[in-house]
Amino acid sequence: MVCHECDLLIGVPGLDVGQKAYCPRCNFLLAANRPHALKMVFVFAICGFGFLLLSTAFPFLGFSASGQERTVTLMQSITILVSEDLPSLAAIIFISIVLIPGAFLLGAIYVSTALKMNRLLPGTVTVLRWVLMLMPWSMAEIFLIGILVSFVKIVTLADVSFGMSFWAYVLFTVCMTVVMLYPDKRQLWNRVRSLSDE
Amino acid sequence: MSEFAATSAIAQGLQGCPICTSVGPAEKTHCDGCGAKLHSGWENSIQQTWAWLITSVMLYIPANFLPITYSRFLGKETESTILGGVVTLWEHGDKPIALVIFVASVLVPLGKIIVLGWMCISVQIGSKFALTQKTKLYRVTEFVGRWSMIDVFVVGILVALIQVGNIMTVRPGVAAVAFAAMVVTTMLAALAFDPRLLWAPVNKDNKQ
Repeated sequence: MVCHECDLLIGVPGLDVGQKAYCPRCNFLLAANRPHALKMVFVFAICGFGFLLLSTAFPFLGFSASGQERTVTLMQSITILVSEDLPSLAAIIFISIVLIPGAFLLGAIYVSTALKMNRLLPGTVTVLRWVLMLMPWSMAEIFLIGILVSFVKIVTLADVSFGMSFWAYVLFTVCMTVVMLYPDKRQLWNRVRSLSDE
Repeated sequence: MSEFAATSAIAQGLQGCPICTSVGPAEKTHCDGCGAKLHSGWENSIQQTWAWLITSVMLYIPANFLPITYSRFLGKETESTILGGVVTLWEHGDKPIALVIFVASVLVPLGKIIVLGWMCISVQIGSKFALTQKTKLYRVTEFVGRWSMIDVFVVGILVALIQVGNIMTVRPGVAAVAFAAMVVTTMLAALAFDPRLLWAPVNKDNKQ
């Protein structure tokens, strides 16, 4: 294979479970064979998608000051930006914290189901390609840090409470991180190719 | 090293696919294995990177000088810019948070623009200086860029939560849109840049 970072052409041998291969020239992680990778992706993608759905269903954050209380859901916090005449901002936030992560997880579920069943479902190759391309555009974990920062900013003015949906979103982010970090590209594509050759 | 054919792929007329890791001819624009767009699919990588970078700089200016939020507290309205927000946080004693925002919203985008610009120039003049370090720096740049979105999310959350009529209201400013767009364009600039081009002068020497 070719190192993604420094373009070194190198033969990487098949790895045993737990082994990793780094580029000898620039030390980039080329391949890794993590234990139960496929099972982990399958389980965490399903859980993650479930938590994402839950996080849109209940109050997300609450705010109370001077005897007035207010709770918002995740969707309300996005639609309010539309009513503030900044639909473009609403769109960027919605796409990066709900739409792309959701599409990513659905794609991961689809591909890992196909691989677990040991056969290719229609469009597996296209879905896998899209899933890998979407990865850097999902910003769930960044959104969480954003919430933390807002919390610090508001806490002197008012009481902020975390709703059910907030905790669901936290769990969703954890699952999302596992799904993003666990699988190995080369391993996935080798599985897909060996299935399409049959 | 030689038994691993330790030369660059481009020197042998080959290239790897970043999506599926298969190796194919260097002149292909799309991967044979998975159909993804390859580095050579980005025509004029350096020109495209420059174009996105210049767009980023143009967005960086309004993003930092126009107000990112308007907050109304007991009828009195105040505007705040990104830097103004950092200063307020610092003065209120939330120094670590102020630092996080300063790094994510001011330093990272600026650093990213400077680093990518420097890399484009060094490819254009065929520099062989510190290639390994530059490659690593590119990798870091590609990785940290997304984290600048923090401030956009903070604005979104503040606006959504702080809506208590005349007592306390926060409205978003245009700078928030400019800032979000800038984060996206710097990410695209990093994507358009082909780090293999950094190694081109070395590969030319190897061929001779």
